[in-house]
Amino acid sequence: MPTLRIDQREISVPQGTKVIEAAEKLGIMIPRFCYHPALGSLGACRMCAVKFMEGPVKGVEMSCMVEAADGMVVSTTDPEAMEFRRYVIEWLMLNHPHDCPICDAGGQCLLQDETVSGGHGLRRYQGLKRTFEDQYLGEFVQHEMNRCIHCWRCRRFYQEFAGYFDYGAMQIGNRMYFGRFAPGPLESPFAGNIIDLCPTGVLTDKPSRYKGRRWDLQRGPSLCLHCSLGCNLVGSARYREMIRVEARFHGAVNGYFICDRGRYGFAYANHPDRPRQARVGEEAAPLDQALKTAAQRLGQIRERYGPGAVAAWGSTRSSLETLGMLQWLCQDQGWRGPQFFPQASLARRVKAAVARLDTGMAVSLRDLENADFIVVAGADPVQEAPMLALALRQAARRGATVAVIDPRPVFLPLEYEHLPVSPGDIDLCLNLLSQAARSEEAATGKLEPDAARFYGLLTSTNLEDPLLQERLLALGRKLQDCLRPVIVCNTDMVRETTPARAADQARLLQADKGQAGLFYLLPGPNAYGAALLAGREEVDLLAAMEQGGVKALVVVENDPLGSCPDQERLLRALDNLELLVGLDYLPSATAARSQIFLPTTTVFEKEFSHFINQEGRLQQAVPLHQGGTPIIQVGQGSHPPRTFLDAIPGGEPRPGAGILADLAAALSGEPAPPTAGDLWDYLSGEHEGFSQLASLTASALGEGVHLLPAEAQEPAWSPEPGEKPPEPPAGQLELLLVDQTFGTEELGSYAAPLQKVEEEPHLLLHTDLAADLGLAPGEQVALLLPGGEVTVRLQTAQNMAPGVAIMPRHRRLHWQKTGDGPVWLPPENIKKLSEPL
Amino acid sequence: MGEQVLLLNRQPDRPLSLEEYRQSGGYEALMAAVGKRTPEELRQLVLASGLRGRGGAGFPAGKKWSFIGKGHPRYLIPNTDEMEPGTFKDRVLVNVNPHLVLEGIILSAYAISAAKGIFFIRPSYEMDAELIERELGVAREAGFLGENILGSDFSFDLVVHRSAGRYICGEASAQVNAIMGRRPHPNKEVHMTDAGLWGKPTIVNNVETLACVPAILRKGPDWFKGLARSKDGAGTKLFCVSGRVNRPGCYEMPMGTPFNEILDEAGGMSPGSELKAFLPGGASTSFMPPKFSQVQMDFEPLKETGNRLGTGAIMVFDQNTCLVGATLNLLDYFTRESCGFCTPCREGLPFIRDLLLRLEHGEGKEEFIPMLKQMAHHMFKAYCAFAPGAASPVLGLLHHFEAEIREHISQRQCPFKGK
Amino acid sequence: MSTLPPELQTELAQQVAAADHPREQVINIMYVLQKHYGYMSDEAVEEAAALLDMTPLEVEELATFYDFIYREAVGKFVIHVCDGVVCWMFHEGSVFDYLCEKLGVCAGGVSADGMFTVLPSACLGFCDHAPAMLINGVFYGHLNPEKIDAILEKLRREYCDLVICR
Ligand SMILES: Cc1cc2nc3c(=O)[nH]c(=O)nc-3n(C[C@H](O)[C@H](O)[C@H](O)COP(=O)(O)O)c2cc1C
Ligand code: SF4
Ligand code: SF4
Ligand code: SF4
Ligand code: FES
Ligand code: FES
Repeated sequence: MPTLRIDQREISVPQGTKVIEAAEKLGIMIPRFCYHPALGSLGACRMCAVKFMEGPVKGVEMSCMVEAADGMVVSTTDPEAMEFRRYVIEWLMLNHPHDCPICDAGGQCLLQDETVSGGHGLRRYQGLKRTFEDQYLGEFVQHEMNRCIHCWRCRRFYQEFAGYFDYGAMQIGNRMYFGRFAPGPLESPFAGNIIDLCPTGVLTDKPSRYKGRRWDLQRGPSLCLHCSLGCNLVGSARYREMIRVEARFHGAVNGYFICDRGRYGFAYANHPDRPRQARVGEEAAPLDQALKTAAQRLGQIRERYGPGAVAAWGSTRSSLETLGMLQWLCQDQGWRGPQFFPQASLARRVKAAVARLDTGMAVSLRDLENADFIVVAGADPVQEAPMLALALRQAARRGATVAVIDPRPVFLPLEYEHLPVSPGDIDLCLNLLSQAARSEEAATGKLEPDAARFYGLLTSTNLEDPLLQERLLALGRKLQDCLRPVIVCNTDMVRETTPARAADQARLLQADKGQAGLFYLLPGPNAYGAALLAGREEVDLLAAMEQGGVKALVVVENDPLGSCPDQERLLRALDNLELLVGLDYLPSATAARSQIFLPTTTVFEKEFSHFINQEGRLQQAVPLHQGGTPIIQVGQGSHPPRTFLDAIPGGEPRPGAGILADLAAALSGEPAPPTAGDLWDYLSGEHEGFSQLASLTASALGEGVHLLPAEAQEPAWSPEPGEKPPEPPAGQLELLLVDQTFGTEELGSYAAPLQKVEEEPHLLLHTDLAADLGLAPGEQVALLLPGGEVTVRLQTAQNMAPGVAIMPRHRRLHWQKTGDGPVWLPPENIKKLSEPL
Repeated sequence: MGEQVLLLNRQPDRPLSLEEYRQSGGYEALMAAVGKRTPEELRQLVLASGLRGRGGAGFPAGKKWSFIGKGHPRYLIPNTDEMEPGTFKDRVLVNVNPHLVLEGIILSAYAISAAKGIFFIRPSYEMDAELIERELGVAREAGFLGENILGSDFSFDLVVHRSAGRYICGEASAQVNAIMGRRPHPNKEVHMTDAGLWGKPTIVNNVETLACVPAILRKGPDWFKGLARSKDGAGTKLFCVSGRVNRPGCYEMPMGTPFNEILDEAGGMSPGSELKAFLPGGASTSFMPPKFSQVQMDFEPLKETGNRLGTGAIMVFDQNTCLVGATLNLLDYFTRESCGFCTPCREGLPFIRDLLLRLEHGEGKEEFIPMLKQMAHHMFKAYCAFAPGAASPVLGLLHHFEAEIREHISQRQCPFKGK
Repeated sequence: MSTLPPELQTELAQQVAAADHPREQVINIMYVLQKHYGYMSDEAVEEAAALLDMTPLEVEELATFYDFIYREAVGKFVIHVCDGVVCWMFHEGSVFDYLCEKLGVCAGGVSADGMFTVLPSACLGFCDHAPAMLINGVFYGHLNPEKIDAILEKLRREYCDLVICR
């Protein structure tokens, strides 16, 4: 721990700390442009110059390039250093257009701040300014190159940190140009981060262009709900409109960055068709009144058919408050449910995963970056949880081996090994990898008895493809020498056995190496919470509705018509109902079909809410504003009407939890439901996973806490690790419904900026298979599914498993025709419709 | 002229052939070394010879080699970028005796156990690149290059890398980036000797430096030291003399030869010209007025005057040459060649250039002088040695020729215009 | 797809494949493509990228950095006129101006017959023959208008192959 003095104050810092970082710990913010904590030091801008008065380094040097050392005495205010910094800022301003008034960075611009603090006020350079032409960089990032100060942050992030190579630095000297080879959309789904990183107004947020200065905005810490990772955000609203989202630092989760889905997905909150008014039948009604009517009708049904005739269906995108209240309501009223997942098999997979996580096993995204061997089983990170891909890249940059076992043509922005096997073979691959990673003797000799027994149970059938087998074994041998392996596994497209198998193998690695991690992806930002609440019991509301046992359904922030894989069946079941009550903030099909509709708020409005990410981390979202119909919509683009109201137009929606609490009160006739504080008590009794909740302080809730149990709820090992999951009937294909970065995720599919960039929906087949079937990429094909026909364009790929057909759950594709569970298809069910366009 | 080591047997119009080189002891050092002496012994001999890098920085070659990291393969990069204005010694050297250069490279590679060499050459030397490629083949035929050189277990091969032309590519770490197909910006964060080319131990040396090695090994370090005329100097030096002299050219003279003797060797000042100033070692050094005529041309003596030997490329200016104009010309060059990586050089040099341009055009102001001084000094805080080099002639101008600047200001025009 | 003649395509692909690290070939490949297309056209950048498994941007990052890679059309012969300080001392720009006037072009332009482009160039390393220029790998020194005229005439008249770095 070197100790040094900076501006007469002493500080001890860990070995390897740069002087600029040591100063920051003292609260001294040395000016900087190129240095960034996530990107490290570069030494290019020369803005961070300080004077070293005593110690191993002498004179004016860059504080970002010098490591703190014992005996250093540093002055940040020395005249020579100050004069140099003043020149640096003057140089940087030589060519700057000084167009702050029309620049969106104005007010949040490091260049403005440091120009002022550097003391550069008068222009002395009389030469001409060099000017550039700007480029179109797509729908997210606005480019105004004249403002560039060549700090390199954008390129370092884009290429080195994120691993995409369509944006960079061209030309030389002061003609250096940051942009693309030719105008066009940035290819990286992390491109938005260069907006946050750019210290001036070259790269600004396009969708929110000219919508307000930072000080005009209602800002606050929020959370991303567009996948289960729970990245931290800062949200900004103005005039009742959600304006912009930026990344918020979280050391264990997202670091300094987020993905573009997280950055632009928020626009669902501004959707012009967002239902902001309660409704009974076709008639708009005040929320209170609609709520009373709902309570009345639900009470009647309960009276007539018994409590089990009412059922509740929630989803994994609701806050813990809403989920908890729904659970409480069901218990209180004796209703059926709640069900939290669209289908039973998914619920089982998620529960199996969550049950195997504990503090010894779960790793955060940040931990993942320090792993040295990562197996990604049944996951396609860029498509499913983009920031995972960025964490994998950091691990790879530090030398980790990344192996992906997945049927899809997985692309990762890093060096990785992809084994395209069908979902049914993923378990086997994990077994084989384990076996190759340690010798029998090592296994039996070194492992504790349980682990050794488990190891003994692993069967060793070979993969059909000898080449894949060989690559897998080679990976296993590499795994032998690794010390910090992690298994990543999604719960979406995999077999039911796979999540548990991933846990088994992680545990085996842990037994072997003393250290190993497990990292799941779950379906939705609060899937972890939902899985805990769902308990062991299985609820199958669809079946119950079909059987006629359910007469009223309360659907809370959930769109079964969009997410249930068998829509026909669901529609028939819904027809059996006497009452459908919907609560939501999305203009969904289910909301539209509800006889009574109660509008809820989004995560950005009115009240605090909490979500538990896939590694069991409870995090808080702070409301930024009160919500209401954005003024721009009220005024239809011009001045809003000059009427005076005592209520916010469109401001009726309330948090789901609150509406449910009032519903409970109305149903039972007494204001009994738990208030926010009690809700935590209630939850902590509900599941041991929530046991910490009761004792958490407000500040702990604010910062977020890991709710993981010290020991997993499920037994450590699966009983039959060699058991082979179901195989497709001979000659048939397995249809895989999958996620895409843009276009499949529910909330984001209502966000206009994301709609502009989503890929066209397509069906993906192996190139050879397509050729065998006489199909060519680009052709329209008809896919005959159990529930009917889907028309879709064909794409082909070489690097995918041969026996599968892959289709995204695209918002523009009517895919809900498959039914639950693995879907097998005879290849004849794919038919050519037309010639390629 | 003194003993000729590097330019021995120089022919006016053609390079020496392998046979000619061998007749005067060529490749003997290699035969005596490979498989017979250890690389460590070679490194010690070169260290003891006092050989300092001829690429500009004057770093002791043996010392640099002693830092070579443990990894393999190791790389040796003979640096023939030679884009320092005024410098053409490497071109002359390669053209006089390509095999001396090659032997030096192979011996040095042996000394650091390098497996591969990359002969980095600027594009305007295309003819020399072709020459080296041809002679490489000849050396390979003769068993001096390639697998198991001279039957030993030492294998080393050399390829020619044609640059596409930028001054910064001569800087060692930028050069490594250039070879790797990356943008050739310098990189101070890695130690070349541990993690240079492709992350492996790498030594970059100027070709003149490497060409000294065969003679050092053949005749011994003491002999080499004795060649110099300066106190701590060693060897001979190729001095390129250009400008207002009678016989511009490249002359091999003892390290530490006084400037005026080199000037004499180059035939003295051209008719009608009087010495006004000289740059002692390329564009990245500082102007010196005639009072320094006696200065010994070696690293240390020049350092004592606050200047640098640089590449030993002497440019001679006469009384009719405007030094503000000359400095402006140099700054045009540096501004254009700045790699753009760091702020002082990328933005500060154009500012300096603009002030010089205004001075030269008679728009100068008194306050430009302190600004020029401050900015030129601040160039030393840039990322690499390019910007300090660019600042050097400016500082020389300010230091020794401030009166000439003031004339530009007071006369509101260049005093040399129309003369 | 590729518009390169198949033999050239194969040759270049082999050159890349033979390299220890494909990327070390990027400048060589650019030179060959530049020779083939006459200059480093957009198409050439894309071809280079495809050959080297780089993105066009990555190639462009390099192509635009260097002096001897021409991203705009040039004449058959590129005349690199030295504007280094020694040559400056002798002519103060007159060689450059003379050439431009003579060929009816400005810096970077192509003469009407498609033969010549004049570019100012850093010190060529031919200072002992100042003022100097470089055309197609060949130095010309001690320049004056008569000499320049003769050189241009000779280049126009006599066939000569283009060197790699021209
Ligand atoms: C801007 C710049 C340009 C350089 N150009 C050359 C060059 O053309 N040739 C050269 O040998 N060294 C050049 N150098 C020096 C090299 O960085 C390096 O020090 C040298 O090649 C090492 O060889 P030496 O120790 O034998 O001198 C340059 C340095 C800088 C900063
Ligand atoms: S565009 Fe922005 S981030 Fe990129 S170099 Fe310029 S100023 Fe820096
Ligand atoms: S990775 Fe997931 S949580 Fe993070 S920003 Fe993207 S969508 Fe949101
Ligand atoms: S001083 Fe800076 S800009 Fe100039 S060449 Fe060196 S690194 Fe590049
Ligand atoms: S922050 Fe230190 S040089 Fe840029
Ligand atoms: S200055 Fe013109 S060749 Fe050197």
